[in-house]
Amino acid sequence: MRYYVTLGGKDPVLVEVKTLAPGRYRITADGKSEEVDALMFADRGMSMLVGGHSYSVDLDESGDEVLVHLGGNVHAVDVVSERRFRLRGGTAKFSLEGQQLVRAPMPGKVTKVLVQLGEQVIEGQGLVVVEAMKMENELKSPKNGKVAELLAVEGSAVEKNAPLVAVE
Amino acid sequence: MAKIRKILVANRGEIAVRVIRTCRDLGLSTVAIYSEADRSALHVRAADQAYCVGPAPSRDSYLAQERILDAARASGADAIHPGYGFLSENASFARACERAGIIFIGPPASAMEAMGEKTRARTNMQRAGIPVVPGNTEALRSLEEARAQAEKVGYPVMLKAAGGGGGKGMRKVDRPPDLESGWRSARSEALSSFGNDAVYLEKFLESPHHIEIQIFADSHGNCIHLNERECSAQRRHQKVIEETPSPIADSSLREAMGAVAVKAAKEVGYIGAGTIEFLVDARRKFYFLEMNTRLQVEHPVTEWVTGLDLVAWQIQVAQGEKLPQHRKFSPRGHAIEARIYAEDPSQNFLPSPGRIESLRLPSGPNVRHDSAVYQGYTVPREYDPMIGKVSAWGLTRDQAIARLLRALEECVVTGIQTNIRYLSAVLRHPALVAGDYDTSLLDREHARLLEGEPQNVDPAKLAAVIFAHDRDIKVAASRADPDARGELSPWRLVSRSMALRKLRRS
Repeated sequence: MRYYVTLGGKDPVLVEVKTLAPGRYRITADGKSEEVDALMFADRGMSMLVGGHSYSVDLDESGDEVLVHLGGNVHAVDVVSERRFRLRGGTAKFSLEGQQLVRAPMPGKVTKVLVQLGEQVIEGQGLVVVEAMKMENELKSPKNGKVAELLAVEGSAVEKNAPLVAVE
Repeated sequence: MAKIRKILVANRGEIAVRVIRTCRDLGLSTVAIYSEADRSALHVRAADQAYCVGPAPSRDSYLAQERILDAARASGADAIHPGYGFLSENASFARACERAGIIFIGPPASAMEAMGEKTRARTNMQRAGIPVVPGNTEALRSLEEARAQAEKVGYPVMLKAAGGGGGKGMRKVDRPPDLESGWRSARSEALSSFGNDAVYLEKFLESPHHIEIQIFADSHGNCIHLNERECSAQRRHQKVIEETPSPIADSSLREAMGAVAVKAAKEVGYIGAGTIEFLVDARRKFYFLEMNTRLQVEHPVTEWVTGLDLVAWQIQVAQGEKLPQHRKFSPRGHAIEARIYAEDPSQNFLPSPGRIESLRLPSGPNVRHDSAVYQGYTVPREYDPMIGKVSAWGLTRDQAIARLLRALEECVVTGIQTNIRYLSAVLRHPALVAGDYDTSLLDREHARLLEGEPQNVDPAKLAAVIFAHDRDIKVAASRADPDARGELSPWRLVSRSMALRKLRRS
């Protein structure tokens, strides 16, 4: 199988994976091939041997990203199949035009709503305070504009990414 | 005084587990309390008995004095250990315990009142001739008063919860326009953390060291200090790394601070474990900051170098025993601790509650971890994000740091985000390695510490691709195999209709 691999904002690299035998792989990228002995454990731990080097790895997923815990670091590696990579193309544009939705950055509780529906706000103005783990996080307006939608309710629990305020 | 036989631990998290461990070492029975959000918490599993004291919000459970006392009575506990935070510095709770005939493992209520409230402590220390940081000694009544006081001592200023500690309910304000939002958030955080929204104001000292002295006093008039801890590695007033001895303390500074700390404790009739926190400026002038009338999070580093169990001492002092008479403790070597938080350094340290998918804790020579988590545990969103601490000891400072780094590398937590790699970056920072850092280090070097060291990422890429490949192969295989999808294959349909026919015939 072929994947586009992106790490740390660099350009995606096309990588081919071939299973040689159970737990043995040939990985090819940029015209270079490497043989890897990778033993996966039930708890998503992995023992990986490459060219005589031994790596103890733990893996986790978050969307298209594979989180690789290695030597005290966590590397978020974006790994998408060739097909999905093409489908995804062109959607990455980011803009502050039009309506901007402010979402809960983590699961928590809305402790304060600082604006009203229809209120004019400026970029950086506090909109809503969300509390989790005893830390208050004031969510600020991403742009100058008007509060077009107010979904946050004081005292209510919110999940991660729950829409709270729309500014337009 | 009667011997303590059963202790209720009025806390949660790593400190509850840590206290329970010492109780077991001493052969004492233990009672846990828990909120409805903490049914699955480790401290509940570690204790001999456990009582639910209410719903998730702290004020309805871990701060609910009457319910906790009911649990103590129902369980037959003769003492309560409050840990740190929650009710540990609450004098009215200490009094309520006394009225209920239950030993409160902590200082007398009068000493807590004299020291626990930061404003009163400042007044008392000033009176005893101990230098304090300039600012007011009473709670501010209004935003206007805060504004006037800030103008008087000059910006930048610190707003601080009078009833608080541990970095909660604290805001640095650099300029007058920011005072209002600082005032608002300091007060609301103070209220939710300590049940008291009183806030006072201090001059913000530029880049001081934060050094604290551990003291211990018994009920027979003995009071000693167990040297200092350097706690200058702070991010937003939250301690991140603590060590002892302090890289800047020589024996004369240590003795001077120790003597003042003992004097301060005696001044208020202190009994038990306590910590006097000082700010030390560039000219090594030190100011009383506050006294924490309880066990500190970072007490393990003192335990490493002294070989003592401070919780055991707390229990012994609470049952009226004298401090051991070998007064002269000669601390040995160097110890350093890192606090592990469930938060995401790459997203401005946003809290990251959730399920821990896999967990590997460090071990090996001279490494200790105190934590309250396990594989499959869901870190609740309702409480403090600190999930554990890792500490290490070495004969030299360099050795201790190297060990702690090694231990952090062994430590793996997946499923939630943690600050582990940030901690490693702090421990590798040249200023920390050189022992030449103050409280401004982490904020000043923020970007660099987040970036971490450049490294070989090829193995990470290989592992990620192999993981994705195996996962996709499995998904593809399950699609191709209808049985695995739980759908009805033609073969299954045939066998089912044959079985039905058989049934009808019989």
